[in-house]
Amino acid sequence: MTSTATATATAGPAPGPFVHPALLYRDDQEYLDGTVPFVREGLEAGEPVAVAVPGDRLRLVRDALGADAERVRLLDMREAGRNPGRIIPGVLRAFADGRTAGPRVRIIGEPIWAGRSASEYPACVQHEALINAAFQGRTATILCPYDAARLPAHVLEDACATHPTVIAGGSRRGRDSGTYAPDTAVARYNEPLPPVADAMTFPFTDDSLPDARYAATDDGRRLGLTGVALEDLALATAELTTNSVLHGGGSGVLRVWGEDGRVLCEVRDRGRLTDPLAGRRPASRDQRGGRGLLMVNLLADLVRVHTGDEGTTIRCWFSR
Amino acid sequence: MCEVREREETGVGQSVPDAVRTRRPGAVPDGAPAGGVPGIRAAGEVGLAAYPLWERVLEQAVREGEAVYYLEMSEVTFVDVAGAGALAAAAGRLGDGRRIVVRRPPPALRRVLETFWPGLAAIEVSMS
Repeated sequence: MTSTATATATAGPAPGPFVHPALLYRDDQEYLDGTVPFVREGLEAGEPVAVAVPGDRLRLVRDALGADAERVRLLDMREAGRNPGRIIPGVLRAFADGRTAGPRVRIIGEPIWAGRSASEYPACVQHEALINAAFQGRTATILCPYDAARLPAHVLEDACATHPTVIAGGSRRGRDSGTYAPDTAVARYNEPLPPVADAMTFPFTDDSLPDARYAATDDGRRLGLTGVALEDLALATAELTTNSVLHGGGSGVLRVWGEDGRVLCEVRDRGRLTDPLAGRRPASRDQRGGRGLLMVNLLADLVRVHTGDEGTTIRCWFSR
Repeated sequence: MCEVREREETGVGQSVPDAVRTRRPGAVPDGAPAGGVPGIRAAGEVGLAAYPLWERVLEQAVREGEAVYYLEMSEVTFVDVAGAGALAAAAGRLGDGRRIVVRRPPPALRRVLETFWPGLAAIEVSMS
């Protein structure tokens, strides 16, 4: 919070095509004051409006909107955005790219709530930071509410690093965050993912791609995955291991293990992921290739990436 | 009978009969679909190792010129995203009114097609 307190600007920045404020709310009333007029302004201007927030918040907004709620796309972010890596392609761009009706698209997106796990949080911050790159030059406003009463101070500081503008609860005006630095935030949460002991470990090359997939499936089944979840694990494993063979130095190491009731699958190779938006761009129908990592983001409950000079590790979580 | 004929006609019918049993890669043209309909039956799996062969199978489907071309996939155990993409691209080259009927594909293929190419009229997924 110190970062907002020290910000001196009182007027919002000149409205560029993309506007991305964080709304720091402390209670239900501040939530509604910050979100409902934002939605109504959009509707009055004929703009497409979506609200993707956790279910309890969604009900709050929907009830306050009354009949107008029918004109708003409502999504439970706990489901649609369970994996932060799929929010840009699967929620934000999926909504924004499909609308040409109005001059501006408005979205309320709340990807970070009290209860996001320590494993999820780095992916959440990277997602928030990468929204800026993903929407650069686009005529859209994405308002991101943060529960300032329940989220720890470091989370609110990160919100100031990932949003150029911050709106304090009860205020209608945004001000410069003062500490906006999205690239630094992405780099800071590019946290190492050290190998886990006791995991099923399978080194692979191009010759053993199918065997890697069978090994993952066998272990996933042993760990309790069935049906679609097991198919998801197989497909994600195939995409990650194939990427290692094609783009990550030709080989890699697959690991699968159970943790906190979920099945984790990790692929480690010698490549370096240089595109921070890899797997976060929606795929056009006509593009050839480039959908593997996007598919993994759409399938898994969480995807974490660590990349550097030593190589790249991508770890995915699957619920039983 | 018609399997052999179909193989001769397509010219890509080098068979890898153990493709499924040994779970080795390579979705291969494995004859014609049942029922004497125009098309091809594939077996095995479509991953990196099988892309060249898979592309040829699909190119054949485009070249045949049939209004409806059947791709029997009940013995294909897996198709990755790039394999599904090649199928969607081939369907896009079919031209007006033509379509590929994909029979009993593995679940991952349906999933990927529905995710990235929903409502693609040139591909019909048939589970019968």
